[in-house]
Amino acid sequence: MTRFNFDLQTGETGPLTKAPRPDMVNLPLSGQTPLLGVDDQVLNGTKVSTADNDFDGDMHAPLSGRIREITPHAMRIEVTGDDKAPASAPCTGKGDELRQWLRDRGVNTRNLYPAQTLIINAVPPEPGISIFEPLLRDYRKTLEIGLDLVKRIVEPSKLFQVVAKGNKANAFANCTVTHVTPVYPNGLDPLVIKTVTGREIIPGSRPDDISILSVKDLYLIGRAAETGRPLTETVMTIGDSNQLVVVGTPVGFLTAESGASVQPGDRVVIGGPLRGLAAVNLEQGVDKDASGLHILRRSESAAVTDNPCLGCGQCERHCPARIMPGMISRCAEFKQFRRAEAFHIHSCMECGLCAYWCKAQRPLLQYIRLAKYELALLADADKEPRTETDATDGES
Amino acid sequence: MLKPLTPILTVAVPPHIHCGRTLRRYVLDTLVALLPAAVMAVIAFGTDALRVMALSCATAVLAEAACNRLMKREQTVDDYSALVTGLLFAFLLPASAPWWLVAIGSAACIGLGKMIFGGLGGNPLSPPLVGWALCRISWPAFMDTNATMLMSDLPPPLQQLKYFGVDAVSSLDPVSLLMGHQLGGLGEIQIIALLAGGAYLLLRRHISWHIPAGFIGGLLATALIYRLLDPAAYAPPLFHLLAGGAIFGAFFLATDESSSPLGSLPALLFGIMAGAMVIVIRVYGIYPDGVPFAILLANLFTPLLDRIRPKPFGGPYSFFDEEDAR
Repeated sequence: MTRFNFDLQTGETGPLTKAPRPDMVNLPLSGQTPLLGVDDQVLNGTKVSTADNDFDGDMHAPLSGRIREITPHAMRIEVTGDDKAPASAPCTGKGDELRQWLRDRGVNTRNLYPAQTLIINAVPPEPGISIFEPLLRDYRKTLEIGLDLVKRIVEPSKLFQVVAKGNKANAFANCTVTHVTPVYPNGLDPLVIKTVTGREIIPGSRPDDISILSVKDLYLIGRAAETGRPLTETVMTIGDSNQLVVVGTPVGFLTAESGASVQPGDRVVIGGPLRGLAAVNLEQGVDKDASGLHILRRSESAAVTDNPCLGCGQCERHCPARIMPGMISRCAEFKQFRRAEAFHIHSCMECGLCAYWCKAQRPLLQYIRLAKYELALLADADKEPRTETDATDGES
Repeated sequence: MLKPLTPILTVAVPPHIHCGRTLRRYVLDTLVALLPAAVMAVIAFGTDALRVMALSCATAVLAEAACNRLMKREQTVDDYSALVTGLLFAFLLPASAPWWLVAIGSAACIGLGKMIFGGLGGNPLSPPLVGWALCRISWPAFMDTNATMLMSDLPPPLQQLKYFGVDAVSSLDPVSLLMGHQLGGLGEIQIIALLAGGAYLLLRRHISWHIPAGFIGGLLATALIYRLLDPAAYAPPLFHLLAGGAIFGAFFLATDESSSPLGSLPALLFGIMAGAMVIVIRVYGIYPDGVPFAILLANLFTPLLDRIRPKPFGGPYSFFDEEDAR
């Protein structure tokens, strides 16, 4: 196998094209509660489900058609046309009102909250994903509309744009451009925040005074404001081109359109090869976070083993979080999850480099995720008995 | 209705790509690095060396197979790591070693050095050194490279230094030592071939430079301190580096993955500690060559050294209260 190139320079990319219309979409429903039932007719823009938590965006039908099937994971809509639901009036409010308006339009608002510093992440998240390049070059106006909207919620006093060295910056007004070395994993949010502010934030936690958004987020927010229509699209790098893809488009449709054939045993990865999600089957629809599509042949993809950890330290040397993935994997292997905390498992930003370099081919990231999951369960279980003890204390 | 799931895709957690290195290729790389020294050992000591190496390797592989069988574990001999352990052990033996010594030592390397701790990756000490220590203490006469090789006209530099003082070794030319014209373990004294093997491992990024550099630096610095204290009583640093198994230890024994520290700074300290200990044992110890015991001692410090860690990203963090976190 040839050595993978971790370079984040995107070079020249073509214009953003619109992917062809699929005749069926599978809307991913994780974290959503469906509003409509089977056989209901939907228009492009009809709300089909609401998010279960306070920050995820609701889900809307991306095209018009009829709902054919609803499973806990996906809603299948047979597409018959592109009849649009009427566009809504733009929101003139600000702060929480605007936030709710965006959430109602399908925008993930997790990172939209008042903060002093707003960071625009324009570093490609992974090698081979170049979606930011055409957006920054050709969709300047949309981005600025998006940024204005975001500013009305975040109300930042400082605005930063972080760019990989060698990629075009096309900076926004009143914004400080910071460059990072164009090498993976420098585009990950925790590392970008560190570059700008010098502060290290535990991955997955939310700093009070920093809000970070990607160029794609800005573009999609800008598009929602521009058209008054809900967010039903995502931008993905497929092969060499960047495409505007309807959410829920089956991955098999996209691979077929790009002219690639998928063989048994291949992986169809939504996202990049280091952090992406492997599709279960060709029917699986892309979600709003999808930023790329890769087909990895069986021979070139990572084959994991249950080899023991050698203790060679390769994972530790490549870890951007300065932790010991090998030791954490040993803890997880032997179900000593609490011990994994002593090896600072929470610092892991899940870049996947440890498992890439592991010569024993251990599934290090899987072990880390398992330990994180079990720790979360343990922490929940820990809380409950404690309240019980408090209650008995009160009684006695 | 759902269409049949064709083609069936592979579903796995990320990362979906791998650098392509495998355990087996990694171990074979070590074997390749040891090959020049093995060839030179056969040239220097003839079929005797070949006999010891072959017997040691064969016993090691058989011992691992037997251990796996006894422990009802999946067979692991096909990763070649037992073969490498056997060869490393053979390198420490005199070419004259009797067959039973080789067999017992090699089996002890695998049984006591490796399998008893759960196999590859679990050993707290370098396996070849465990077997060597067992033989050295139990049968010192047979392990003495000088006494068992009286027929050879090669000089035993460390024994001469030990028993006849620094004057006895002042006539020894560093270049001839480098070329392997000395008595010692059959492979450990093939300095030039081992240096080539070490360079290969470094170039292949198979080992990092920290342990060999720390080892050689620590050894030279300690030897220099003694030399400066009294040039009439202590041998020059270069002599210590080229005589006996210092180079072999620095590149092949101390760098054993599982028994050496992970981090860069701990690995450097580990190397310095082992290197310095070599000279201390050579100067004060009862054994002429201190390399194996020095590395074994340093191995014991590995868990302690591994506690030297940089601050993790975002600082230590725990779901649980301070007193809960272990």
